[in-house]
Amino acid sequence: MPLASPLRALLPAFLVVATFPSVASAQRALTDIPVPDPAAELEAMEVAEGYEVNLFAADPVIRKPLQINFDPRGRLWVSSSSVYPQLRPGEIPDDTVTILDDTDGDGVADRSQVFATGLHMPTAVVPGDGGCYVANATEMLHLTDTDGDGRADLRRTVLSGFGTEDTHHLIHTFRWGVDSRLSFNQSIYIHSHVETPSGVQRLNGGGMWRFRPSTLDLEVFARGWVNPWGHAIDPWGRSLVTDGAGGEGINLAFPGAAYVTAVGTPRILHGMNPGSPKLCGLEILSGAHLPADAHGVLVTHDFRANRVCRYRLTESGSGFASEKLPDLIRSPRVDFRPIDVKMGPDGAIYIADWYNPIIQHGEVDFRDDRRDRTHGRIWRVTAKGRALVPRFDGTTLSNGELIDLLTADGWARDAARRVLVERGIDEVGPDLDAWASAARRAAPSSPGYHPGLERRCLELLWLRQGLDDGSNAAIDGALLLRVLTSPDPRARAAACRVVVDWADRLGKPGAGPAGSPGPIDILAPTVDDDLAAVRLEGVRALAAVGTRVGASPADSKRAAELALRVVDQPRDDALDYAVWLAARELQGAWLPAVLAGSFADGGKIARVLFAIRAAETTAASGWMVEQWQQGAVTGAELDALLLAVALLGTAEELRLVYDVALAATTPAARSAALLDHLADSQRKRKVAPARDLAGLTRLLTSPDEALERAAIDAAGVWQVEAAAETLERIAADADRPLPRREAACRALGNLPGKAAHDALATLAAGPTTPEPLVAASLAALVGRSVDEAAGLTAAWLARGPGDTAVHEVLRAFLSARGGADRLAIPLADVALPAPTLRAVLQDVTAAGRPEPALAAVLERASATGGLPSITPQQRAGILALVAAGADAGRGRELYRRESLRCVACHRIDREGGRVGPNLTAIGSAAQPDYLLEALLDPAKSVKEGYGSLVVITADGQVTSGIPVSRSDTELVLRTALDREVRLQLADIEEEAPGSSLMPAGLVDDLSAEDLADLVRYLSSLGR
Amino acid sequence: MPSPARPRSGGLLPLAAQLLLAVALWPWSGTGAAEPAGGPGFELHAGDRVVLLGDAIIEREGERGAIETALVATHPGAHLTFRNLGWSGDTVWAESRGVFDAPSAGYARLLDLVRGLEFTVVIVAYGRNESFAGVAGLGAFRAQLGRLCRDLREPPGEAGDGAPPTRLVLVTPPPFEATPPLSAVAATARNAALSDYAAAIRAVAIDEGAGLVDLFGGVTNSLPAGERLTENGVHLSAAGYDAAAAVFAAATGQPLSGDFAARTATLRAAVNTKNRLFFHRWRPANETYLFLFRRHEQGNNAVEILQFDPLVEAAEATVQKLAQESP
Repeated sequence: MPLASPLRALLPAFLVVATFPSVASAQRALTDIPVPDPAAELEAMEVAEGYEVNLFAADPVIRKPLQINFDPRGRLWVSSSSVYPQLRPGEIPDDTVTILDDTDGDGVADRSQVFATGLHMPTAVVPGDGGCYVANATEMLHLTDTDGDGRADLRRTVLSGFGTEDTHHLIHTFRWGVDSRLSFNQSIYIHSHVETPSGVQRLNGGGMWRFRPSTLDLEVFARGWVNPWGHAIDPWGRSLVTDGAGGEGINLAFPGAAYVTAVGTPRILHGMNPGSPKLCGLEILSGAHLPADAHGVLVTHDFRANRVCRYRLTESGSGFASEKLPDLIRSPRVDFRPIDVKMGPDGAIYIADWYNPIIQHGEVDFRDDRRDRTHGRIWRVTAKGRALVPRFDGTTLSNGELIDLLTADGWARDAARRVLVERGIDEVGPDLDAWASAARRAAPSSPGYHPGLERRCLELLWLRQGLDDGSNAAIDGALLLRVLTSPDPRARAAACRVVVDWADRLGKPGAGPAGSPGPIDILAPTVDDDLAAVRLEGVRALAAVGTRVGASPADSKRAAELALRVVDQPRDDALDYAVWLAARELQGAWLPAVLAGSFADGGKIARVLFAIRAAETTAASGWMVEQWQQGAVTGAELDALLLAVALLGTAEELRLVYDVALAATTPAARSAALLDHLADSQRKRKVAPARDLAGLTRLLTSPDEALERAAIDAAGVWQVEAAAETLERIAADADRPLPRREAACRALGNLPGKAAHDALATLAAGPTTPEPLVAASLAALVGRSVDEAAGLTAAWLARGPGDTAVHEVLRAFLSARGGADRLAIPLADVALPAPTLRAVLQDVTAAGRPEPALAAVLERASATGGLPSITPQQRAGILALVAAGADAGRGRELYRRESLRCVACHRIDREGGRVGPNLTAIGSAAQPDYLLEALLDPAKSVKEGYGSLVVITADGQVTSGIPVSRSDTELVLRTALDREVRLQLADIEEEAPGSSLMPAGLVDDLSAEDLADLVRYLSSLGR
Repeated sequence: MPSPARPRSGGLLPLAAQLLLAVALWPWSGTGAAEPAGGPGFELHAGDRVVLLGDAIIEREGERGAIETALVATHPGAHLTFRNLGWSGDTVWAESRGVFDAPSAGYARLLDLVRGLEFTVVIVAYGRNESFAGVAGLGAFRAQLGRLCRDLREPPGEAGDGAPPTRLVLVTPPPFEATPPLSAVAATARNAALSDYAAAIRAVAIDEGAGLVDLFGGVTNSLPAGERLTENGVHLSAAGYDAAAAVFAAATGQPLSGDFAARTATLRAAVNTKNRLFFHRWRPANETYLFLFRRHEQGNNAVEILQFDPLVEAAEATVQKLAQESP
């Protein structure tokens, strides 16, 4: 990747480090390769009480299964790859799709047919439309057997342009949606550019696509995640997602939402189990074969820890709460790698076991002999002593029988829907009409009514979606209304998405009874629904309908007016996100109306203020000031309005807010909040209140602590020269609290003029100045006189200041362009005490980028100062101690020791920082050798998603951090201090990948026994 | 992005080719090219190295081999070599080529890549994806297509060193084909936009002195009756590619004749084999681990990608051998 000049100059040194041949690895040292005997693998499994496992199929019939899906005849389609992880030069890709069948129903596949060969890493397969859809690296294929010999002979490229930057991120996880769209996912490193008849669809990064093969309509349903190989859809159409490289457990996905790692959005949603192991595959248990307590339970795989996990969801707020249950299967064998799971036609649970002692392809060489390329298993899990579900061939049933099955469980429902949809509207339509009219007439008050009818109506509605041929006659507006007014809120919520699909036809002639309402009228009640989940779907649907091609301006405005009603009621994070997103998407509808005075806000300006803040638009600040000056807004709403003006107004408008902040009658807390928001305007937009700000000086000595702090900060941000003298006095005032004095130093650092400079230099050199203040002064000096600061710093470091102070000053140098180089010059001439040297080294590594000049000086100093290094023999000794039973309890105490700083950056359960990977389940993912290596030399093993980014902004600031989010205007990085830094893209001059933010040498003071205990503790996490 | 190593032949063109170039510096000044219905056409000379650049129409041509086979077979003995750099969804701004960077970085890489191939002709097929921007996007498209032409023609640092000027050939996108359930209205609107963009491409071809292959105006005429041009309204069907190949061949003054497809089936298979190998050479999977920011993990295996070079060359030799024998 090309880099702009200064960083390119830094790069060679970085590469030397980054390409160091002996890459540490969780699996590298694996020597105990099990014998690939299915009987032994089965024998080793610990299976949950009440369940048993049998082998359904294994090599050589299948090998390396990547995805499994049943067809409506009950046959299992398996895609397999031995090409993964990388095609060899000259190798002709020859991966396969195989169909397995258990014709005698004994739970073991007795027939197999290789359906397709010649494939290139088919990461997914799903039967449908007379054949199957297959992921084939850059493309999605449809394969058909036209001559009935059981082998595909027609190969059609359905979609192409999918990225291949990482072969375990290729498009995957195919699943038919309840609306009969084909849903599939891609992962974080993939960049896809897919041409469809209606335009190019692009997705850079992870996310979920959905695709209707009959119309070639393709869209991004949700964005984000690291490697989301699990997607299940509950009986009410709600999409649940697991991430094979993300640690947030079960995610609830809804249209347009963005999740961890999503590119192009300033805000993301999170999964329900933070700190969870990384999970692959997902299925919801159902059906009469399984005991009642299993129904609705989610099954997914922690393939790193060789186990099959269970979660239970309960409805909560606008979504769910998720609770981990005891595992379904655990295995001590490293080769058991469950990755996919599906409910079978007999009501049993089928698990695809990729079977490999080596997983992934980053850590172990592509060509490592220990990679298994020939084995693979399908396991079948049944409930002991319970009758199986009678199996059937869906293709032989009548329409009526199939329609009856739509409310059945699991496979039967999916099979019935699939067969009906493939039969087409002409064949199914008449039967569907009869069923639907009976169903929609059955009101809750009518005799013979039962609650199951609500799902039946919803299923019939979904079937209509699947059978849609684009004609007005294909939709059923009456049925839609019936479901939208269902007594079951889950049905009401689900129906909102159908409104979006049919928006162009609702209320049109032929699409329902004459005078039927249009899409927006239909959705109107949803935003006031009692249930948050309905409001969430309603607001997302209104945004989609209001922004669709062909929506009239009046419709769009009405959609926005309705969507923003959601602001009136309490919102959990997901619901708040949904309306925030709607406000941004519908900006073109509500903003002109607000400015023109035609927006109907129901007398609640809070709705509009929410939208203005959500959209971060500066266009409405004049309107806000007008409302304020007319006296129309009071109380909490006025507070909210003033904050919004402070963030988004012009210089003159900011001045008006500034005057409020300074008014004697304004409560101190309010003044402080206003000043903070005003200062943010300068930081983010470079807009400060108009005219002279000298009056701020009066607040610098406010008796209110919060106000004093806000005023000091603002004086620095605005460079209020008149404040210099007061700030100098505060900085020098030994009677004032230190934090206030440090803030004054930072503010002085920004002020022009010699007086400010001299004050800082005096404090920095003062023999009696408290250490934190020296650090603050030096750090402030770096920005204005780097060589002077470097000289003072070198002398100060030689005296051996404390770590905290060292870190503050070093970070100032490291975040100034060229700062490290300038510090290196005087530092070459002084001798640093060993603890100081170590602290400095930590900062240089935590910068996440090479600083060759400073690194060279420190290297010389280390050589003469004799910092300890650990030999391979010592490492082996420590690992032997771990294996011999080191003390995890002591390890836990060490982990919490402040000087080690583990907790500052890493999270276990709900405690700790978020800079580094969550360690809640690290023991299930990483072997002891890897953990030791990561402790001793963090830069050698950086986890996916924790590679840092080094950014240089126009003001010469260098920031290193883990990318949190990126929108069209803003990049958010999480720095090594667990602080989110928002950088305006317009200010960014250069970007380059950095390395680990974890400082080296954190564990240098630990003994071998200590290290063994610590590794032992980390190994125990998540096991 | 790995830049393919330069070919061992150096860049020295066969003498015959240099002589030909001397008399035909500009494609339109050639006397051999007929003026097919599709437009003014272009010439291919002995020893030409042709880069095919564009969106999915070019990318999928890499698997079909129709156009390349037609041009190779109709110029027997000319020793033409082709390298396909098509990328689905791409535009004149290289919007599909940014990978982890902005499209502008992908554009720069594209130019580097093309230069590394030591081409003499670049066939540029863009405009369809851009046309969704409608009339509003037309000016920007036209300007950027012109810039792309100039950037392709003038490798920095090589101007004035006596190297023969690059010849460019612009291609208009094929028309949109009405495809149920996409309504006829959609097709009409699509073709109105495509017509505007095709006109812009023709104008740039004149401005930049480039050759032209007018698929928008001509490809339907080459389609046998009863055959569909596309698979889905947009992407050419097998018959559509054969029709496009006929337009390309005719544009060089060498129209296809008779049972061309049957006669050249073996050659076409060899072309496709070569293109598949080259695809894995220039767009290998796992770039992140082989060449980019995780190369510390698998960068040692990047050597395998270079091992595709001799395989591509061997496949190329087969193509050339079959081309000589081409009836």
